[in-house]
Amino acid sequence: MSPTTPAAARVGRRRIEPWALGGAVLLALLLLFSVLPMAWMLATSVKTQFAAVQYPPEWFPRHPTLEQYYRLLSPANEVGREFLGYLLNSLWVSTATTVLGVVVGVPAAYAFSRFRFPGRHLLFYAVLVRNMFPAVVFLMPLFIMMRWMGLVNTHASLILTYLTFGLPLSIWLLKGFYDNIPVQLEQAARIDGASRFKAFLLVVMPLSAPGIIATAIYSFITAWNEYVYALTFLNDKSRLTLPVGLQRFFTEFASNWPGLMAASFIMSVPVVVLFLVLQKWFVKALTEGAVKS
Amino acid sequence: MSHSGGHSEMDRRTFLAGAAGAAVAGLAGQALAQGSKTGIDAATWTPQHIASIAGTAEYDTAAECAKIVPLNHSGRLTYWYFGPTQASPQIEHELDAQFWDAFGKLYPNIKVTKQNLSYNEMLDKLRTAALGKAAPMVARLPILWGVEFAAKGQLREFGPPDVGYTADEFWPGALKSVTWKGKTYGVPTNNETMALIWNAGLFRDAGLDPESPPATWDDVVAYSRRIKEKTGKNGYGMVARVNAGNTPFRFMPQLWAYGGGALDEAEAAPTYKTIYVNNTGSRAALQASYDMYVRDKSVPISALTNTQVENQDPFIAGNLGMMIAHPAEYAVMVERARKATGDDRKTADAVVSNMRYGLMPKGTARRAVVFGGSNAHVFRPDLVDGGLDLGAAKAIIAFATGPEWSTKMAWVGSNPGNLRGFRTKWMKQRLEQIKFLNVTTSMLPYGIPFPVLPQSAEIMNIVIPNMMQNALTKKMTVAEATDDAAKKIKDLLGDL
Amino acid sequence: MATSDAVAARERPVATPPAASRPRPGGVLARVIRHRADYLYVLPALGVMALVIAYPVYFTVYLSFFNTPPNLALEDKIFVGLGNYGRILAAESFHEATRNTLVWTVFSTLFAFVLGFGAALALDRELFGRGVLRGTLLVPYVISAVAAAYVWRWLYHSDFGVIGALLVALGLTDGPINILDHRSRVMPALIVVNVWKEFPFAMIMMMAGLQTVPDQLLRAAQVDGASAWQRFWHVTVPHLKGVSLVTVLLLLVTNLNSFTIPWIMTGGGPAGASEIWITHVYQLAFGRIRFGLASAYSVILFVVMMAMGWIYVRALTRGEDRSPG
Repeated sequence: MSPTTPAAARVGRRRIEPWALGGAVLLALLLLFSVLPMAWMLATSVKTQFAAVQYPPEWFPRHPTLEQYYRLLSPANEVGREFLGYLLNSLWVSTATTVLGVVVGVPAAYAFSRFRFPGRHLLFYAVLVRNMFPAVVFLMPLFIMMRWMGLVNTHASLILTYLTFGLPLSIWLLKGFYDNIPVQLEQAARIDGASRFKAFLLVVMPLSAPGIIATAIYSFITAWNEYVYALTFLNDKSRLTLPVGLQRFFTEFASNWPGLMAASFIMSVPVVVLFLVLQKWFVKALTEGAVKS
Repeated sequence: MSHSGGHSEMDRRTFLAGAAGAAVAGLAGQALAQGSKTGIDAATWTPQHIASIAGTAEYDTAAECAKIVPLNHSGRLTYWYFGPTQASPQIEHELDAQFWDAFGKLYPNIKVTKQNLSYNEMLDKLRTAALGKAAPMVARLPILWGVEFAAKGQLREFGPPDVGYTADEFWPGALKSVTWKGKTYGVPTNNETMALIWNAGLFRDAGLDPESPPATWDDVVAYSRRIKEKTGKNGYGMVARVNAGNTPFRFMPQLWAYGGGALDEAEAAPTYKTIYVNNTGSRAALQASYDMYVRDKSVPISALTNTQVENQDPFIAGNLGMMIAHPAEYAVMVERARKATGDDRKTADAVVSNMRYGLMPKGTARRAVVFGGSNAHVFRPDLVDGGLDLGAAKAIIAFATGPEWSTKMAWVGSNPGNLRGFRTKWMKQRLEQIKFLNVTTSMLPYGIPFPVLPQSAEIMNIVIPNMMQNALTKKMTVAEATDDAAKKIKDLLGDL
Repeated sequence: MATSDAVAARERPVATPPAASRPRPGGVLARVIRHRADYLYVLPALGVMALVIAYPVYFTVYLSFFNTPPNLALEDKIFVGLGNYGRILAAESFHEATRNTLVWTVFSTLFAFVLGFGAALALDRELFGRGVLRGTLLVPYVISAVAAAYVWRWLYHSDFGVIGALLVALGLTDGPINILDHRSRVMPALIVVNVWKEFPFAMIMMMAGLQTVPDQLLRAAQVDGASAWQRFWHVTVPHLKGVSLVTVLLLLVTNLNSFTIPWIMTGGGPAGASEIWITHVYQLAFGRIRFGLASAYSVILFVVMMAMGWIYVRALTRGEDRSPG
């Protein structure tokens, strides 16, 4: 996949380079660092509540049980229904945010890349700088504003807010992409008679597909994992998204650690799978779109 | 409908004079002075008396409600409360369902939208909702919370007469908690006090008398240490988490028992103007906690982040000696034991059979417990999401605070706010079914409500736990921590 | 497009602009009108941003000049001018939170960057299963902060946590140790969690950066007899300056803003030992209903972030203007 062949690899054929060994050790340690907490999460989630609070802890669950997963995912019982509800809500909010993010961000990035309108630098940096503001600070004013717009306790308030989280990075990424696509391609299309918009749609968009996919992934994952705003804007139990639902659920009986771990695991699965499957595009987009010098 | 079956008219009148702020000279004895907070004399409100009045009266809920709001009233109702959670025993879920079912049958034309929120998040949500004009019509709030909304002018004036009841049907302490600047802003639904729970088996293993609880708080410290030394298990289930209601409910009785407090709320006629948190009594109380956490290490290390729920697992696993909890805790433990399997089941069952309830420990000054409970409030019409349907609000409150349902809804964890409830057949049933109910109800006269001020929530949930943490982490000495808390309370009361 | 693709693609397409956008003399207003169609492309994005940002910023600044009255009603707020700012800057809790925030931000960023860079370097070779490795290492970045906070809280639990148990098993301590409830251990513990979550991001960015190091230079240096370290220091590192800067800045900003992990794991405790700016503001605004103070606090944070943003933007601009290679 990489265009350059790392020089070190060729040298390594003659003897084991200390750097290569060091690198391998580091990778191994990092792998353990990354994976072990998740492994423990999994192990805890299949223990019984009693087994989980043993000291010293059971390294391998003696009597593994899937009761927590069953409880969370089965529509037959109340807990399961609630949890599935949270799951669906998260899916809806994340998908809507992603789709809207693409629809709104792509034209904007294109404009920032191609057009020479006045104030474009200022606006571009304003969009980026938004990233700097601590999310929590806007909670109260935004809540009042949502109330004024009649959006309290609706998913629309979240989708609107999440759009502003994802837009800066999306626009920045995509702009980088568009900067890399030679304008001559569009000009060729326009010479052939296509309007500017059509040229954009038929020539440029397909080429920026990796960037769009990266944007979509980023938006989705951000919306899926977001916590503070969902906590404040949503009251109704039936509307909660997973992160908030997870927390609410378990402050009420904070000692059900296996249940908490099981819920955390279930919550992580969609985004991890999504990301692993599509990581190629994400990395490619970051490479081509973000790295300039 | 007098509730004061065994009391003399003299006591009642004397109490009323006291409650009006007049001097309480002439009331003799500590118990009586404490009893004046609730209008009931601790000496006569004994388990025997409670048993004797139970099941002696019948009330017709439908008729009483119909007098206030016709049964065919048509409208809508929005209602927020903190109801049964995953940690609640099954019977609470059942009764909650029955409540709404019965209300629906009584008033079929009122469309009900209810929200069951968790204790720790309800306050923030309600504050934001009221601010954003998205409040519910009626909210059933813990006893500490109503005054904040009343002080902000966000509640509609509403009292027992609005639903056809009289003031003497409720605990005076409860009524005090719904009064702000002389006006009434709610109706008590239920009241409870906590008790000390211990594991007789662990006591036995530690060489302590399994059937008697520590009599004083100093004894609690000593017992805790003994249990840790002899059995290696933690003694007292301390709770010192910031921003959690559990903490003040367990620590304030300690403060009050030693003669301290946040303000003068434990005194017979409190003015809520004098700061007590750094007096000798308060310091002694904090020192006791310090001794347990730092010196003896006889309490869970995670006490600083624990809520009461995190004491339940160790307790049922036989790893915790004592804790302060609700009357409901027994039912919770029984259910937990039911869910256990294999070896765990044996341990759990043993714990359940060893579970004992006793009175809250005494201190040098008094025996005290937090007078807890809930009240039903009505929000100001212009703040309510969609406007206020007064008829529906009156209907639900009349229904919920009447003797029948205030008893049923308080089944596992509390007691009827409406004192007539103590005479119903359901009370009798409860006394028969619920182990230790006689102990917890007899604590009621020792109940002290938190200061009835809007700043109370912050004092109790933030300043006091922070004071505990400052001392327990040794960031400050006990004296410094209490002085720091005193300064914060002074600032709070002065300006914000 | 005769020279390498990279060079040509980075050139601004000003060679033959379509007639409509060729710069023409005229005032700003004239140019705005001329480009009015272009604005349509950015209008939705800007509209959303303006709505969700402009009003809250205005409202926050406005509120920062007021105080919450004892009855906690927003309508009765008391004007205090710059009083709130004074109170905050003088408060000991602010100083403590500032110290904590500095420690939190600097160390999280430092370790995340170093680990990420190391991982990128280690992966920058044709390894078997490289994709899988990289994917696995990315998992912490992708899972929700809420889930991560709970998992680590369970790992660190003072009474039942596996980390405590491991330390005992390895003979390092006698009994379960107090991590999250201990004033001096809680910050390092939280930083570990943050680094765990952030380092994959640094890894990805640096991997992308490493791809742009020209192969010819490395080969040339090797032919000249340079050792692996010399090649690294003199060829690779200079090429990574831009990416490193951007990565570090992004990490700094993210860490300054990071709320979920500290909040769920400790809520600022015990006794304020893990209180950072963000959790402090939240507690002030929602726990203690001090909107005026919280707003003033937020404005102070804005100013700090704006300063950072300015540096960030300058770094990017310099990156753009510098010629490639």
